[in-house]
Amino acid sequence: MREEPLVKMVNISKSFGGLKALDGVNFEVYRGEVLGLVGDNGAGKSTLIKILTGAYLPDEGEIFIEGKGVHFREPRDAEKLGIAAIYQDLALVPTLDAPANMFLGRELKKLILGRVIRLLDRTRMLQETREVLRQRLHMEISDLSRPVHVLSGGQQQAIAIARALHARAKILIMDEPTSALGAEGREELFRLINQLKAEGVSIIIISHNLVHIFAVSERIIILRNGRRVGDRITSESDRKEIVHLIVGGEDVK
Amino acid sequence: MKRLSSMSRERRTQIGRFMEKVGPFTALVVLAVIFTLVNPRFILPMNLVNVIRQAAIYIILAVGMTFVITGAGIDLSIGSMLAVCTCVAGALLKDYGWPLVPVIFLTLGLGTGIGLINGLIITRLFLPPFIATLGMMVALRGVALVHSSGRIYHAFPTSLLTLGRGMIFGVLPAPIAIAFAVVFIGYILFAWTEFGRYCMAIGGNKEATRLAGVNIYRFETLNYALMGFLTAFAGIVLMGRIDSAQAIIGTNMEIHTIAAVIIGGTSLFGGRGSIGGSVIGAVILAVIANGLILAGVSFFWQQVVTGLIIILAVTLSIFRERYFYV
Repeated sequence: MREEPLVKMVNISKSFGGLKALDGVNFEVYRGEVLGLVGDNGAGKSTLIKILTGAYLPDEGEIFIEGKGVHFREPRDAEKLGIAAIYQDLALVPTLDAPANMFLGRELKKLILGRVIRLLDRTRMLQETREVLRQRLHMEISDLSRPVHVLSGGQQQAIAIARALHARAKILIMDEPTSALGAEGREELFRLINQLKAEGVSIIIISHNLVHIFAVSERIIILRNGRRVGDRITSESDRKEIVHLIVGGEDVK
Repeated sequence: MKRLSSMSRERRTQIGRFMEKVGPFTALVVLAVIFTLVNPRFILPMNLVNVIRQAAIYIILAVGMTFVITGAGIDLSIGSMLAVCTCVAGALLKDYGWPLVPVIFLTLGLGTGIGLINGLIITRLFLPPFIATLGMMVALRGVALVHSSGRIYHAFPTSLLTLGRGMIFGVLPAPIAIAFAVVFIGYILFAWTEFGRYCMAIGGNKEATRLAGVNIYRFETLNYALMGFLTAFAGIVLMGRIDSAQAIIGTNMEIHTIAAVIIGGTSLFGGRGSIGGSVIGAVILAVIANGLILAGVSFFWQQVVTGLIIILAVTLSIFRERYFYV
């Protein structure tokens, strides 16, 4: 029916101790799609996402990226294939500045004394950070050398997104991206999301706020108790139906 | 706090960062002025050189401790570790008649190895650094006592004594030169390499650092190994200065080192630190020790004052983080 999904997760299961967090979940994302992933607390959203980003290993199941089977042993493996996540707590290091956060784990270096000494290239990291923020996200932040925790929620969000973009992310996962934002920051975020989509980046948004999910997503996948209980085209569904699927009760299949 | 709350967050951060930068240095100057007023001999160049010479050992240790505390860790075992290292070095030199150079290398290796064990206990057994190194502090002191069984090693080769007592170009005491070489390398490592960057990142948000693909356990372990290396190094310089090694050497050294680092503005909660601040912190403690002696205050009071200074420094640091967002 549709083209090959960018990401396909098949029959994913994961337990923590005796608790089955995910039970045979199938999941797929298409290119340039904005997908909402919803479910109650403990439904398995975060676990699923952490498996996709390599932070957790699944007990069972397979992951295909552009049709090819992959095995992630650590976050770096997923990152190499263009999967980037922005976690709920923004996954920034609050005490470091924007360039340090943007390049964390893949710092730019300059070689001194014929490659013997490799020092951080702070000037270039600062320039590139400013450039990505300005050109791809249209955001100007004065004094990027401040620790990021003094910046506004929207600015921190932009830095986290810039970090993902700079890593050439093809799939951007956002965990509760609106929770730290005010109304203004939220509009800014929706603008960013549409811009990323136009560039062909797929976006997965996890949120409890269905108003936000409906405002920005094209498709919604619903999890309940570690199982996938629904897959809806946003424009053909409504909040009432999604809420039903999230909380359960009578089946609305 | 009414006027504070009317200030913008941005402005407060600026003030906080300014306080952090100039605070320790200002404290040092104020202390120097007070001690000079009490006893003018304090400010004589000969005395000041002496103060820094005494601070030299703590400066070396404080560089390592800055990395550890910035990485949200702590190392309480360094005093005992220094005793083990110096006792082993003393025994090799005096009992086994080893030449100096291999002894130095072996001692540095021993310190690094013990530090590595600290790091592995913390990262592989998931013990809080405070507990792991507290255990090691007690155990290593025991090792030093068992090993030397109360002996005091002394009369070391003159080349070792040169490290602790010699002068470079006839003016600059060797331990000071050594300490500042360590500070220089430490600063480069801290501010300009991946290693220092990851220390700050791990201390600031461990999970975010892990998710960024950094092997946090490796860097945390290396951090304690570096502390061990510098402890052995400081031990060798100390042996050269006091020409002796025994099992009770280095008692309370960890407390003074941690105090120097905290006074210097490194956050007790991790994530931020300053090598330069730690140097000033170590000098402040040496100034207090020296100034109190010159002021005719009993040696025993020194410890009381040092303790109060630690409480004051931590209070200021918490105040700064709460109201000035740094």
